[in-house]
Amino acid sequence: MNGAQFLVKALEKEGVDIIFGYPGGAIMPVYDALLDSTIRHVLVRHEQAAALAADGYARATGKVGVCMATSGPGATNLVTGIANSFMDSIPVVAITGQVATHLLGTDAFQEVDIFGITLPVVKHSFLAAQGDDLGAIVHEAFQIARSGRPGPVLIDLPKDIANTVGDFRFADSLGSNDLGDPPLEAIAHALEMMRESRRPVIYAGGGIGMAEAVAEFRAFVAGTRIPVVSTLKALGALPTDHELFMGMMGMHGNKAANIAVQSCDLLICTGARFDDRATGKLSGFAPHARVIHIDADASEIGKLRQAEAGVTGDMRRALKQLTIPLDDIREWRDECAANKVSHAWTYPPDSREVSATWFLSQLSAQANGNTIIASDVGQHQMWVAQHCSFATPRNHLSSGGLGTMGFGLPAAIGAQMGRPDATVINVTGDGSIMMNLQELATLKRYDLPIKILLFDNHMLGMVRQWQELFHNRRYSEVDLSDNPDFAAVARAMGIPAIRVEESSEVQSAIDRMLSEPGSLLVHVIIHSEANVWPIVGPGKSNSEMMEERRR
Amino acid sequence: MSQTTYQIRLKHSEGALVRLLGLARRRRFDVTHFVAHPAPDGDFLDVQMTVESERSETVLARQIENLLDVTYVSIASDSPAAYSQVGSAGT
Repeated sequence: MNGAQFLVKALEKEGVDIIFGYPGGAIMPVYDALLDSTIRHVLVRHEQAAALAADGYARATGKVGVCMATSGPGATNLVTGIANSFMDSIPVVAITGQVATHLLGTDAFQEVDIFGITLPVVKHSFLAAQGDDLGAIVHEAFQIARSGRPGPVLIDLPKDIANTVGDFRFADSLGSNDLGDPPLEAIAHALEMMRESRRPVIYAGGGIGMAEAVAEFRAFVAGTRIPVVSTLKALGALPTDHELFMGMMGMHGNKAANIAVQSCDLLICTGARFDDRATGKLSGFAPHARVIHIDADASEIGKLRQAEAGVTGDMRRALKQLTIPLDDIREWRDECAANKVSHAWTYPPDSREVSATWFLSQLSAQANGNTIIASDVGQHQMWVAQHCSFATPRNHLSSGGLGTMGFGLPAAIGAQMGRPDATVINVTGDGSIMMNLQELATLKRYDLPIKILLFDNHMLGMVRQWQELFHNRRYSEVDLSDNPDFAAVARAMGIPAIRVEESSEVQSAIDRMLSEPGSLLVHVIIHSEANVWPIVGPGKSNSEMMEERRR
Repeated sequence: MSQTTYQIRLKHSEGALVRLLGLARRRRFDVTHFVAHPAPDGDFLDVQMTVESERSETVLARQIENLLDVTYVSIASDSPAAYSQVGSAGT
């Protein structure tokens, strides 16, 4: 058995059933070994899509996603996807071919120091410079990727190691990675703070889903009856229609959610990291609140906002220990509920023009509970977060930290491969779709029933919106009026497509999206000056939300 | 701007030192002094690293702890004699 064959066996032993990748010179021994494996390989059309598909697979399934590429440009093309996983703490193992060890450092053909290039964007990385280490490296890579705060791990495999015939050995199991009990003192202090509070708010983050703590979180909310606001990544941790759910907070959050945070006296941050898109101007964020911060990663506690109680360890256990009835917050709950009604989303009156927000709200309302939305990045991403409902965080795939345009389609591919029974919808824009448009060919190749909902405003909409609001309408390089006919492009790549230009066509488009068995691209024309409302301007506090301006 | 010295023990593995230095730079800590030498058992390196920054020394210590190669971190903020252990990293 050579190193490549052993690598593939080790991947099988880790439970890998699918790899997203693209072959090339240095990784050829592994592709040869894959021919004899039970692992399914998905050939994408650009390595970036392999990394993003592995990311989407991991988000949708909770399993470790795996991507693979050759050395040099194959490896560097993975970097954006790896960084995407790093910023959102997604468990991915990326395998790269590398030139033979005797050529390392000689500027050999397709040699690039991918180990060095990715250092800032991986949880850990390995250069498999000795065949004897391969078993331990693979096992450790998967353990690291999924444990604690998850993240991407790189394995760089030189070609001579892949070709070396030897007596390889699987590593002994590293066992479970128990994060341990939360510190008793911190729990006691947090309980005391909760009892003293009259205006508490739970600030829910993506860590809840990653810690598999959704059930405990819901029990915590039910037990304490504290109003909840959510980050982008936590949408679905509490069902969107839950009476205590106030909505997404932050730059494009619901106004009621931001008001709740700005006027609370206790903020219980659960698996979130005080990201600037969520907090706005940090010094003005939750100005009256004491903070309890619950997080598996101790380095997040106190990083941006001091916490009076920092609760590390197993989040599930922490939430159970913090679930107590709070008797004196009824008035506060009523105030939050009234604000929620006052600031509920509204939709434009009937008009010929298609409203993206109304389209999304209708689509979401009619879709079944096993529907995944993989969003791209831009205005449509925020509209999805605002106007769609999610029963679980695994149904909402969104590039939160890195904000990677082009994420949506490959992530949808990964999600559909991982959850073949789910309805998978990629919501995208005319800017984002062009970043990984080639993956329509992957859709066709694997006959994936993914629906693509493309909102086309002939603009880089979010940038245009910022130029309108914050740059005195000085529009710079945002015009995309020369877009191709996306429906025609899709058809040319074997994907059925329809065009929607008027609101009267929306319902039939939704019907087709939710009933047709195969793939479909729905090209929707929207107003070029549609904006995302409300918005907190750059450098402003969440108290200073700008609301819709009627033109 | 405060100066902080860390005592760190880490596995002598591929890229371990670069990872540590890169972390400090990326988190906006200016490394002003850095000494590494093999620990007695040979598989580890002992590092003394001094940094300057306006950011929290404790937060950087926790971020260093998160590096998989690191097994021990301690801080001395003013007096090199007054080291306090932050903790030891697991896997």
